[in-house]
Amino acid sequence: MHDVGAMPERLARFLEARDGGRTATVVHYEAMVGGYSRSMARADVEWSDGSRESFVLRGDPPPGKALLESDRDVENALLRALTTSNAIPMPALRHYDHTGEHLGTKCLVLDFVQGKSLQSMLNERPAGDFGDHRLDLVDTMARIHSIDLDTVELPIQRPTDWSEYLGSLIDRFRQADIDYPESVPFLRYVGAWLDAHRPPPLPLRLVHSDFQPANIMVDQTGQHLMIDWELAHVGDPREDLGYYNVYSSASGPNMFVVDPEGFLARYREQTGFSEEAVNMSTMIYFSSLAAITVYAQVLGGAGALARGQNSGLMTTYNMNALTIGHTNFLAGCGAELKASV
Amino acid sequence: MLSQPTTEQVILDCRKELLSTINDALADAPARIAVQMMENVLRNCAERAAHEIAWMREETDVMTAFAERVVASPASTPQVEGALAAYRAGRSDSLHLDDVSATYSLAGECLSTGLEAALAAGDDTLQMAGREVLELRLAHEQQIMGVWAMVGRAE
Repeated sequence: MHDVGAMPERLARFLEARDGGRTATVVHYEAMVGGYSRSMARADVEWSDGSRESFVLRGDPPPGKALLESDRDVENALLRALTTSNAIPMPALRHYDHTGEHLGTKCLVLDFVQGKSLQSMLNERPAGDFGDHRLDLVDTMARIHSIDLDTVELPIQRPTDWSEYLGSLIDRFRQADIDYPESVPFLRYVGAWLDAHRPPPLPLRLVHSDFQPANIMVDQTGQHLMIDWELAHVGDPREDLGYYNVYSSASGPNMFVVDPEGFLARYREQTGFSEEAVNMSTMIYFSSLAAITVYAQVLGGAGALARGQNSGLMTTYNMNALTIGHTNFLAGCGAELKASV
Repeated sequence: MLSQPTTEQVILDCRKELLSTINDALADAPARIAVQMMENVLRNCAERAAHEIAWMREETDVMTAFAERVVASPASTPQVEGALAAYRAGRSDSLHLDDVSATYSLAGECLSTGLEAALAAGDDTLQMAGREVLELRLAHEQQIMGVWAMVGRAE
């Protein structure tokens, strides 16, 4: 996949072997921009019976060049499970090169969505005018969080105890500090604060973990198709709420802040979660907590670069996201302190 | 050595060349995104080159002063005392970047343990003082970051 010149031929042979009858010609192949963690490409294919299809390839970057580490085998199994159960709309997973033997790296082959990302659509609208996109985004998030985990055979860990799970999430702050080659004083303080101010529990659900408009494709019917599931896990659904707020504050527009109460009310209505568990206070809490999943991965990449084990522009460029993380960590904890001192 | 032009100026000049000469010659979308990212990284580096030693030294002083304040209070713990002892044993006055960075990290551990101690003791005044040190650190990080957005994500 990293040798773009060789890919049309390699992809054609790969598709033919899986089709079993027709021959394929890749008439167009191009690397895609916008995927930060994985290598992405689009391919247009013409089959010998005259039909045409377009695919998206999603594979691992070259060794030592990854912004963050995740497992394609797990992502493949997760996408298959979600697709089979029809739990949430997403681009169809068509094939998987599980060894990298055919496509040069472990690689998922998905249907190309005729449409745009929600981020792109929002960027094209006048400032502050979100149309139906705001409520649609809430509904998409709520739909993920409403999936009955007993109906899907998820190939990922399924914690059952909320308190234990939250403790493990908070512990990532401490672990991130230990793993980094220098002290990062935000981390243990914020982790300790979050541990001392736990919110009311919620049932553990599927969490996308990188819930943002750039990961929502909107097809020609207006349907939202969720992509980029590599960090998905079973956890507290408010992680996605907090992460969306944090991400969109850094890379807007932020459709939460224009009407926070309305946003949360819609979410509660769609999920059935209580106001005791989903409110401004818990939103602020999870805005601080939720980013740790992505933050720890980015910090890990920076640490690997410092140790000479990793390289690449994605790592150095995204070190700025760590500053965004520190800003949100501090903003989310200790607000009551300023009032009391 | 010649100290003028400064490292900051040299890096910013490279950035200008990248944007004015190389970027315009590129038709490939991923390559243009990479140039935008490089432009940002070069800006970060220029800012760091101009200030990072002074900022790390300034923060080192306030981080350790905070830890000393914690140690002098009922909130003190063996962890913050140990971190301060490690700082005193390992600190260096050298201005070579690696030495400043190593000393800064030892001081960072003093702040971490001091803040944990203040939080555990429920001492809000100390905790606020520690947060102010974090806010100073954050202000420097934000100055390095400048204007930043995730380029290429909407494509």
